[in-house]
Amino acid sequence: MIVVTGASRGLGRAICARLISLEHEVLGLAREVAELPFPALTCDVASYEQVRAIAQTLRGRSEKVSALINTAGIASMNLALTTPSDVSKRIIETNLLGTIYCCQLFGPLMIRNKLGSIINFSTIAVALGLKGESIYAASKAGVEGFTRAFAREMSEFNVNVNCIAPGPIATDLLRGVSSAQIAEIVSRQIIARQFTPDAVCDLVEMLLSPRSRTLSGEILHVGGV
Amino acid sequence: MLNIEQRVFEIIASVAGVKPALIDADKQLIGEGRLFDSMKLVELCLLLEDLATELGFNFDWTSDAAMSRSVSMFRTAGSLAAEFIAQMSGRS
Repeated sequence: MIVVTGASRGLGRAICARLISLEHEVLGLAREVAELPFPALTCDVASYEQVRAIAQTLRGRSEKVSALINTAGIASMNLALTTPSDVSKRIIETNLLGTIYCCQLFGPLMIRNKLGSIINFSTIAVALGLKGESIYAASKAGVEGFTRAFAREMSEFNVNVNCIAPGPIATDLLRGVSSAQIAEIVSRQIIARQFTPDAVCDLVEMLLSPRSRTLSGEILHVGGV
Repeated sequence: MLNIEQRVFEIIASVAGVKPALIDADKQLIGEGRLFDSMKLVELCLLLEDLATELGFNFDWTSDAAMSRSVSMFRTAGSLAAEFIAQMSGRS
């Protein structure tokens, strides 16, 4: 089974669809799961207890979790100086702590199999230091640091931990970002074009492949920076 | 309860790769003179989860409450066995 957080929208939903098309067993986690066409459970990843309850349920059912994909995230395109503290807190709780909680609590399910793959999600905003994304970038910089250190902690158990850092992929998360802003960010990528969720799904598929077992602790930038 | 304590000690010995006879209640698990590094502690917890399942309860080492007790819980083989038995008895 592959657990995907943030499964109801955007990249998470696209990744679930891709994995299901490849005949993987997928369990999606999201705050709203009513309309999802695949098995999913309600979970706010910012809640340690909610994540823990799901991990315990899976353990109780002796589910074999082979991979965890942490796409759950929120963004607020705002200057740090004008971002309300509750918004900053919510971004850090969901993007950084949510990723940490899922790794902490689903990680042992993979340790049991002595095999697993964890894919976290960052953003091009970390590498480029994008104006208006400081809080979001801070949360994702934390995810990158966590990924590198956690990869070392998990390597003994044959669990690989990597991170994908996309540029401006056409998803809900880009609401409120103008075409001009998107074009400006894309122009700073090595491959200067806007990619689709499919490109990210390709990377996920590659990281889940047995041929990628030599990769851990890596931050993969979609389009290059 | 002695039997359960002994089973916990046997699991500790198997994870540490030592003879069960070398494990007693005072055997230090963490800190100076420790038997385990932190990664081995994770393996130990997973095996204790399995033993708890076999005995019909959940061994909790991931809740906030359990984590806040973890330093004292993992101090010695005896303290870990005591915590395991307390959780089994619903006293934790």
